[in-house]
Amino acid sequence: MTLFELVIRSMRKNIKHYYLYFFALILSVVLYFVFATLQHDPSVVERSGGSMGAAFKVAGILLLFIAGIFVVYANAIFLKRRSREIGLYQLIGLTKGSVSRLLIIENSLLSAGALAIGICIGILVSRVFLLLLMKTIGFDGFIEVEFSTAAVIQTVIVFIAIIILTSIQMVVAVYRNTLLGLFNAEKKGEHPKKPKAFRSAFLAILGMVLITFGYWLSGRMLNALLLINMIVVLFTTILGTYLLFRVAIGWLLYQIRKRKQGHLGLNNSLSIAPIMHRMKGNANSLTIITVLSAMTLTMLAGVYSLYYSTEKELRLVYPFDFSFDDFWYEDGQEASAKFISELDKQNISYTYSTVETLQVEGEFEEGSALELISTSFRATIISDKQLQQAGVDIEVSESDAAYLYDAGIYWLLKTMDVPFNVELTNDDIESMKVVKVNEGNAVNSSASTQLVVKDAFYQELKDLFLKDKNGSRIASIYAINVSDWDQLVEASAIFKRINEKNDRVRFDYYSQYVSSMENNGLYIFIAGFLGLVFLISTGSILYFKQMTEAEQERSSYATLRQLGFTVQDIMRGIVRKQVFVFGLPLLIGLLHSIFAIKAASFMFMSDITVPATIAMGIYALIYLVFAFLTVGYYRKTVKAAL
Amino acid sequence: MMDQHKTVLYAQNVRKSYGTRGNVQQVLKGIDLRVMEGEFVGIMGASGAGKTTLLNVLATIDRTTEGSIFIGDTDISKMKERELSAFRRDKLGFIFQDYNLLDTLTVKENILLPVSLGKMKKRVAEDQFNTIANILGIKELADKYPHEISGGQKQRTSAARALINKPSMVFADEPTGALDSKSASSLLGTLEDVNKHQGVTIMMVTHDPVASSYCSRVVFLKDGNIYSELYRGDKTRQAFFQEILKVQGVLGGDSVDAL
Repeated sequence: MTLFELVIRSMRKNIKHYYLYFFALILSVVLYFVFATLQHDPSVVERSGGSMGAAFKVAGILLLFIAGIFVVYANAIFLKRRSREIGLYQLIGLTKGSVSRLLIIENSLLSAGALAIGICIGILVSRVFLLLLMKTIGFDGFIEVEFSTAAVIQTVIVFIAIIILTSIQMVVAVYRNTLLGLFNAEKKGEHPKKPKAFRSAFLAILGMVLITFGYWLSGRMLNALLLINMIVVLFTTILGTYLLFRVAIGWLLYQIRKRKQGHLGLNNSLSIAPIMHRMKGNANSLTIITVLSAMTLTMLAGVYSLYYSTEKELRLVYPFDFSFDDFWYEDGQEASAKFISELDKQNISYTYSTVETLQVEGEFEEGSALELISTSFRATIISDKQLQQAGVDIEVSESDAAYLYDAGIYWLLKTMDVPFNVELTNDDIESMKVVKVNEGNAVNSSASTQLVVKDAFYQELKDLFLKDKNGSRIASIYAINVSDWDQLVEASAIFKRINEKNDRVRFDYYSQYVSSMENNGLYIFIAGFLGLVFLISTGSILYFKQMTEAEQERSSYATLRQLGFTVQDIMRGIVRKQVFVFGLPLLIGLLHSIFAIKAASFMFMSDITVPATIAMGIYALIYLVFAFLTVGYYRKTVKAAL
Repeated sequence: MMDQHKTVLYAQNVRKSYGTRGNVQQVLKGIDLRVMEGEFVGIMGASGAGKTTLLNVLATIDRTTEGSIFIGDTDISKMKERELSAFRRDKLGFIFQDYNLLDTLTVKENILLPVSLGKMKKRVAEDQFNTIANILGIKELADKYPHEISGGQKQRTSAARALINKPSMVFADEPTGALDSKSASSLLGTLEDVNKHQGVTIMMVTHDPVASSYCSRVVFLKDGNIYSELYRGDKTRQAFFQEILKVQGVLGGDSVDAL
């Protein structure tokens, strides 16, 4: 029999083991190919400015990284399951060299098959993904998917590299292991030792303290040491998570078990005992899965919140659809009149209002300002009554205090304790009390901080400042709102047209909305794609691991059934184990990501509880599918055990 | 049918065949067997004679193709899978050649496993454990894991697990098969002791004539039928052993195995 015949024969015999690895390979190929197709698709390339291309590039590298790790991991599990067979070949006299050759031929055949199948499936599903991408970025024209040779070549190159990597992995496995080791590899498992009481308790508590500290610090990161703080938070939570899995949980389980005094019961015998038995080996993978889940969850929740809140956030920054003033235009009134006449020509209905403002210089009082913002600023004082007349719903509650608005630095301002004082350039007013920092802007303006006060107070201030004449002036804002969405689209086009010659072009709400949707849509698509890949990888790794564990414990299930336990009795214990294996990483990952999202919520002006919850919920749901698959596999194993 | 008050197990015309149509292999060809309370029955026979199949069928682990089996007053050949499981758990004990202990559990946890669905009160279970562990001499091993103890100790643990729920009958499949002769005779002595003084009924499959000389009766199987039976009566173990050897010589085949 030639080596090649042996390969074919062993592949036919081993189909049960192969299909797992084969599936993992195909999955990686499909996902990578779809991504490469999108990257090279003309309609994507055409629409993607620099930012889109860069985002795709970064995501591509990340994807490559994950696919590589995933395939190598799956291959390691696969090799371990076949170690007996590898040992047997050597026992009957094949040299290590020929066994390696055998495995490499096998691996190449298998991978080539997976590559071909994966690319075929990829061609079929890439259209769906492209449609999805275009939909999320708000493009609804006709889309044609072209077969991309570049994507095929890119995928083939990447996977040839992965084949070489896995082949090396196989050769190393053959040469490194002794025959005895190969025959016992499947039986291997550590034996729980009595934890050293003091050391374990100390490390367990240290783990929890580290995590708590990380959580605590994550809420207080916004100062000059932002970057260092972020690194410290990452480090403490990851180390804490590891200690939690490596020591704290083992210690806790040991205490529970000790208290049972041997009366462990079937459920615990099938959950606590095997978990303790593999705690050391599982600590690493559970930590990695927890951290990966936390990262994915944070990324998904954050980006989805960005996408979900686009409209709300932009409305906070641009309270008016269109706005003209004397600062950006030579004559704001004239420019607005021109715009209105254009609107009238097109029969677009709108509301027009004028808001008078007082432009002064301001300064945050010593001590109250944060380290990250400059203390002096351009202040715009506005009367709340005029704003209400223009349709902005703001009412100041106190007669001699101001509400402060500045969308650009809101994320910093919101951490300040109110009330605080700001000094204005007028000797008659020492300082103005700010009783509230509100999200967003009071008027469309990105270059100044707005102080909204009661109308009576505004008139008082106006008199004082006009008397003074020192660097202060009256300026008006001419605001136009269009209520109908379709007409707003037209109006925005007109706005763009009449501003073409003005090099200090001002932004309008609608055009900002469109470009934000495009960017955020791209981000959510890429994040969703990567998140899916992360999720499938982590879920599959857990599933593969549990599959191996189920096979290792098959004889235990046979014994239990002989002793008279029904499949249902045994499954109850196994489900409990799965709740631990799948539930704990998810739970801790969720907790981590909740704190991470809370820390990142400074980027948002609106409340992101809803979108973040939706994103996390979807993640958890898909993740649980893997838990159900695993339980199904266990049920099959237990049923077949006797 | 259950005329004998002290009958524990009664098998009538038990047949078992494997394989599908066209390629059927009959392993048990109509076995009638009655086991009385307090008996220690050995089942002997050459490889392939159907010893283990018979044990599995009688122990409710496998189904008969034909015939009926009564344990106590219950016809187990008519029971459903679920009832059989409950029956095994409550009424039977098992000792296997490979011990079949759970590696992840300590000796005590392994022993208490059969009573773990909570029908027995914890205090009663604890007492029962202490009694049995003392008889089998494994009390000090309670907190050890299977990998930390010897083969003989593992088999004692397995025996203790079989006895913990006071079964009506204990089935042992080659319990000494993996033990050295010293551990084997020590375990068999203990089983004999438990049988005599606790009145536990035991059925043991073995192909070792020394092991079967501890029994009160030995049943010989040949090609799926009962070939002959020997009762020990008041004979010494040595004399009984010689008798067994003689039958085995006539039976043939197994002499190669025994070496």
